[in-house]
Amino acid sequence: MEVLLRVKNLDVSYRGAGPSRHHAVQQVSFEIGEGEVLGLMGESGCGKTSMALALLGLLSEEQADVSGSIQFRGEELLSKERSSLRAIRGAGISLVFQEPELALSPVMKIRDQVAEVIHAHNDCKWERCRADAELALARVGFSDVRRISSAYPHQLSGGQRQRVVLAQALACKPALLIADEPAASLDARSQCEILALLRELQRELQISILLISHAPEVQASLADRLMVMANGRIVERGPFEQLYRNPSHACTRAMLRTAAPASVAADMDFEMVT
Amino acid sequence: MLTQRRKLAWPVVALAAFCCVVLFAGFFAPYDFATQDRDTPFAPPTAIHFVDAGGTFHIRPFVYGPGDSGQSAESSAQGSDQPYPLRWFVLGAPYKIACVFTSRAHLFGVARPARIFLMGSDGYGRDQLSRFLYGSQISLLAGLIAAILSVAIGILAGGIAGYYGGWIDELLMRGGELFLALPWLYLLFAVRAALPLHISQWQVFLLLISVMGLIGWARPARLIRGVVLSAKERNFVLAARGFGASDAYLLRRHVLPQTYAVLLTQITLLIPQYVLAEVTLTFLGLGVGEPMPSWGALLSSLQQYSVLSSYWWMFLPALLLIPLFVVFYAAADALQELHKSVPL
Repeated sequence: MEVLLRVKNLDVSYRGAGPSRHHAVQQVSFEIGEGEVLGLMGESGCGKTSMALALLGLLSEEQADVSGSIQFRGEELLSKERSSLRAIRGAGISLVFQEPELALSPVMKIRDQVAEVIHAHNDCKWERCRADAELALARVGFSDVRRISSAYPHQLSGGQRQRVVLAQALACKPALLIADEPAASLDARSQCEILALLRELQRELQISILLISHAPEVQASLADRLMVMANGRIVERGPFEQLYRNPSHACTRAMLRTAAPASVAADMDFEMVT
Repeated sequence: MLTQRRKLAWPVVALAAFCCVVLFAGFFAPYDFATQDRDTPFAPPTAIHFVDAGGTFHIRPFVYGPGDSGQSAESSAQGSDQPYPLRWFVLGAPYKIACVFTSRAHLFGVARPARIFLMGSDGYGRDQLSRFLYGSQISLLAGLIAAILSVAIGILAGGIAGYYGGWIDELLMRGGELFLALPWLYLLFAVRAALPLHISQWQVFLLLISVMGLIGWARPARLIRGVVLSAKERNFVLAARGFGASDAYLLRRHVLPQTYAVLLTQITLLIPQYVLAEVTLTFLGLGVGEPMPSWGALLSSLQQYSVLSSYWWMFLPALLLIPLFVVFYAAADALQELHKSVPL
């Protein structure tokens, strides 16, 4: 398996008032192979989202210092120019933001919001982009694409919005998808649907996924390998089953064991059957 | 939200009605703005009567015509006993609608030799109402264009300063403070002095609005910078950036649209300010000159003490500005509340 993304000694520190700094991510190293799903677990505030933003260079220099090394297909991203980084965002690495209701502009139609991703990476006319956007929406399982694409975000349900965000992220066929809490804001049923969709798309498109979620059932259903993060550091890593059966770090134990064990077990069985 | 909409209704209706009247000033004005009547300088507002000297009631209102030609201006303004009925939709002095169509129809008028001066006449015997209506075109247009100019520069400067931050923000905002600190009235005097004495009315007009518009960019720019600072941190802006959108695209499609509500309020607030600035500048002789009417030009005769003390109706244009400004501020207030009630 070829390595797609190699992160070495990544540090993210936010500037506070005066000389004080908040070290959100410290000495994080990992690799994601082609077509692999890597799970990242951790309590809220442990630096998962900071890391995701740092991977795409979305933290501005005034906000935070990012150091270390991020190699995507052998290219170092941290030393790259802003303009060439832009070509990778969305087309090479896509980020699905948490809370889709906030990640979609309230004043633009769904079709246009998906089309703008395509437009940013393809030098084609808007009509072409909009037509492609409808295809991208169809790919994430919308049956009535016409209605959805001319709707505004507030007219959609939470699950539908999550699909739209997914359609945006996958519109330009990225090699790596960073999914930041893709199911956190959804009810149980939509959560299952989204996870099933993610799994299906991952197999179909052979993309790699960095799956950020604090929910064990989400990780159980998708992740090939798992990393547990606490206070900005990776404290444990390994296959889900191994971590679930004998967690060595207190944090891992707390995270995996607090969720309703029955649902986790059920999900695991399901995963093993398929 | 409905109550806010309702609150916006009356100022909008009032403004639309006023704009209609101003747009078709030629129709609503009984006379041309430049027609002089040397026999009736400083005529007081013409009285409109329903009952004649004999005590008979007339359904059609009438005015008294001028007396014999030998009489003084004072008594001719008072009028003779000869009644001239007020007529609706009469033909009079030709004028142009929207600079294209020529028309001679006026809303009302009286047969010559009687004159109807609803707001009195000025020193040359020109009808003040007609001059006020025609002057509104120039004054409102100047206010509107200058406000749009200011806000356009404000969007550019405030958008760039807020979005990029850093040294460019510092540069633009300090520059804006410099503009706020400028004694712009004297600057305008200096600019006017640098230009040749006789320049065309259009050049004066353009000079007026460009100076007002250029000088006023700093306030809207600051406001827009503030909105952009918070707008660019919205998640969907970050998300769009994460999908590879360029800075120009983000600004145009995601950041600046969030400022439009503030902009609309700002334009509504700036128009009366600039109208007042035009009045001040024209009053001081820096605006459009004779015979072009503007509100400032109408009021400039008040510079003479004799006019000030003897002819009270020369103040009428100033009084009419008050309700107009109230309507503008009411509209701005309602707009602001409306956009507060609809969070983007």
